[in-house]
Amino acid sequence: MFETINIAKGVNVHVNETTQFKTINFSIKFKDKLTKEKASARSILANVLQHSNEVYPSHTALRMVLDDLYGTSLYIDSSKRGNEHVVTLNVETVNDQYLSEKGVLEKVLNLMYIVLFKPNFENGLFKESIFTREKHSIVQRIESVFDEKTRYAQQRMMELALPNHPASITSNGTIEIVENVTNEQLVAEYNEMISQNEIEIYAVGDVKPEMIASYIREFFHFKDREKAIAVPPMELVKPEQPRVLEFEDMKQGKLHMAFFTPITFRDEKFPIMQLMNGVFGGYAHSKLFVNIREKESMAYYVSSSFASQFGLMFVLAGIDSKLEEKAVTLVLEQLEEVKKGNISDIELDQTKALLVNQLKEALDSARGQIDIYDQYMELTDRFEPEYMINKWKNVTKEDIALVAKELSLEMTYFLSGKEDETNA
Amino acid sequence: MHKVEFEQLEETLFHEKLDNGLTVYILPKKGFSKTFATFTTKYGSIDNHFVPQGGSEPIKVPDGIAHFLEHKMFEKEEGDVFQEFSKQGAAANAFTSFTRTAYLFSATGEIDKNVKTLLDFVQSPYFTEKTVEKEKGIIAQEITMYDDQPDWRLYFGIIENMYKNHPVKIDIAGTVESIQDITAEHLYTCYNTFYHPSNMVLFIVGNVDPDQMMALVKEDQAQKTFEEPTEITRIYPEEPKEVAIKERVLEMSVQKPKVFYGIKPEKLDLIGPEMLKHELAAQLAYELLFGRTSDFYHHAYENDWIDESYSFDYSLEQGFGYALVGSDTHKPEVLIKEIKHTLQNAVEKWPFGQEDLDRVRRKKIGFFLRALNSPEYIANQFTNYAFNEMNLFDVVPVLEELEVVDLQNAFALVSHESQQSVFTIMPPKKDEQ
Repeated sequence: MFETINIAKGVNVHVNETTQFKTINFSIKFKDKLTKEKASARSILANVLQHSNEVYPSHTALRMVLDDLYGTSLYIDSSKRGNEHVVTLNVETVNDQYLSEKGVLEKVLNLMYIVLFKPNFENGLFKESIFTREKHSIVQRIESVFDEKTRYAQQRMMELALPNHPASITSNGTIEIVENVTNEQLVAEYNEMISQNEIEIYAVGDVKPEMIASYIREFFHFKDREKAIAVPPMELVKPEQPRVLEFEDMKQGKLHMAFFTPITFRDEKFPIMQLMNGVFGGYAHSKLFVNIREKESMAYYVSSSFASQFGLMFVLAGIDSKLEEKAVTLVLEQLEEVKKGNISDIELDQTKALLVNQLKEALDSARGQIDIYDQYMELTDRFEPEYMINKWKNVTKEDIALVAKELSLEMTYFLSGKEDETNA
Repeated sequence: MHKVEFEQLEETLFHEKLDNGLTVYILPKKGFSKTFATFTTKYGSIDNHFVPQGGSEPIKVPDGIAHFLEHKMFEKEEGDVFQEFSKQGAAANAFTSFTRTAYLFSATGEIDKNVKTLLDFVQSPYFTEKTVEKEKGIIAQEITMYDDQPDWRLYFGIIENMYKNHPVKIDIAGTVESIQDITAEHLYTCYNTFYHPSNMVLFIVGNVDPDQMMALVKEDQAQKTFEEPTEITRIYPEEPKEVAIKERVLEMSVQKPKVFYGIKPEKLDLIGPEMLKHELAAQLAYELLFGRTSDFYHHAYENDWIDESYSFDYSLEQGFGYALVGSDTHKPEVLIKEIKHTLQNAVEKWPFGQEDLDRVRRKKIGFFLRALNSPEYIANQFTNYAFNEMNLFDVVPVLEELEVVDLQNAFALVSHESQQSVFTIMPPKKDEQ
């Protein structure tokens, strides 16, 4: 899929030369350790760098040049994976063979260089008005989670269950830390990102690997950097309170449950755990959906998900606030079924078929190819879908029952409508 | 089978209208492992007043019934269709909009079987009082979930403001009360009226051989019997030009106010090439006025009247449409005033020339080419366009022919003061804590 070219110590270019897409996609990923401080500063940094720069000193000027380049999309996002915080420059541009104009690709690469290396500095600091505005943007982004009650409930549960653990640190940091970041700190963070972070550069589209690598070598001048020492996953500590009930002004109750498992992404049982999650609650044929939605008519959504980086499994459901206890009982009953190995051949085959399908489908988008390749890099340097498909193939229901037995329910969080609320 | 080549886009589309009236489109995609198929009826939440198949008098049906029917199509006497799709490694789904109900799957294998499953389950209704009752609790939870989403309430709030009579103002899922009235008999009435092949489109895009796939669909349809196609009589109320409500405020559990400013289009009877030209021209006009390169955006963002949630959109269907501009904001009054001014100034003096048009046109062409990487986008958009007698692959040629005056003319139809409305969601007042 990808051809990898090393251009400096700790800096790799991965290119998938393909005619599958009408566009060329780039991602430049800067990886660092995940802490609240890093996440806060780097979210601001991502916004400041995508706002404007030395050559295009206003947001309007930068957006105009992107429009002129046939609506090339360019954004920088701040995300996390396991113990890592990642700042990614994402760019997608039209392959100019579909256009009457040529030379778009070079212009886009040059623009990427400008965005990363020519920030909007004034006397050695980021332009103050932009710095202040973007800090505020990040604060607003963190605040807005409250409006989406499912996201908010999940975040509340994580804060309560695993405070100060990477699993509960959000990729945007915290309001308090964001507000206190100084311009000097942000410049230091920027310099560190450019010169010390490990960098993975991806390109997908009708481009030659050698051309991309030599362009970046010639213009971006990324220097050698030390490879970060892999930090082992932080231990999961039992929450002080196993059950929390909170209230907000809303109609539907949000049930969120967190289970711990010793199995993580790096574990050889990881593929079995993926199947366990699929049988239990990952799909429309899964036990949770069939029993809680279809048989009981209690929920519109009810599902489980496996956060393999941390060894966590979550169950989420939207239910009538009065039915919390019943829902928890039903979820645990279904988990018991899986632990006993009461899984039909059909359930197992369906789950395998859908996992395979999901993986292959994800590889039908350039972004999906980049994300999956980047994730599996630490397990295999030549990722192909067969790598996972072969691991799922021979898993039995007994294997699934065994990993299910290793799950422990550690937190039940319920966000309920106000008790005194009359259902209007 | 007809074959249309779009040379510049390097796409070839195969299509045919079958004897029973079903329109089938097949678009092979080189290099893709997945195939995506949608089976869509031109029947959505707005079709609540019609003459039922075989009847002579118009009837009105309960709010939310098209969506309810969509849910119930998946349940058969022998069980749930999701189970069958899962066995065949397909991810299946469905959605109901104002104008359409679509059933879909995507899969990377067993495509023939999955296409058969899709055709079979949508063409074999099975409704009983028991299965209908069972669904009411599930859909009630779905409605409740949406009721708690401020962005959804904001969107529907502004549509209710704009439309006085048109059923677009009715929530697609109905209300917890309205769905209680739905019976199996209702579902059969709606099904028999709107799920005739002549009112449907099948679109298959991805890793397929067009000849073989068309033959499979034809054979499948030839084995099934259908009534003779008849013209469906749909009844929509008269809708005044001006908006129903100028301003409304709703209190909800949000951290800061949310604003949607809506503009109701003046001409709602466009169809076909005229509609396509108007829609694209109006979208470019709104892009120039409210897009990321606009003066409005620049000032609103730098002054903190809008944040990252800011969005604008223009959408047109037969009988209804809207332009929307909105954001979460600490300064709702200022934001509303600024949007109003921006519209007013453009009405008085159109501020954009050729260079501006060229720039946003380039942006739009790029966006369109990017979207063509997505089988889902192609199938959904193409079907939507086809129901409005437009061709998705005409987008680039029509964009290339647009002139500044076209943008002005389009904007003139979506800008009048009496067609503007605003809906705001406010956090609870502090003293009520």
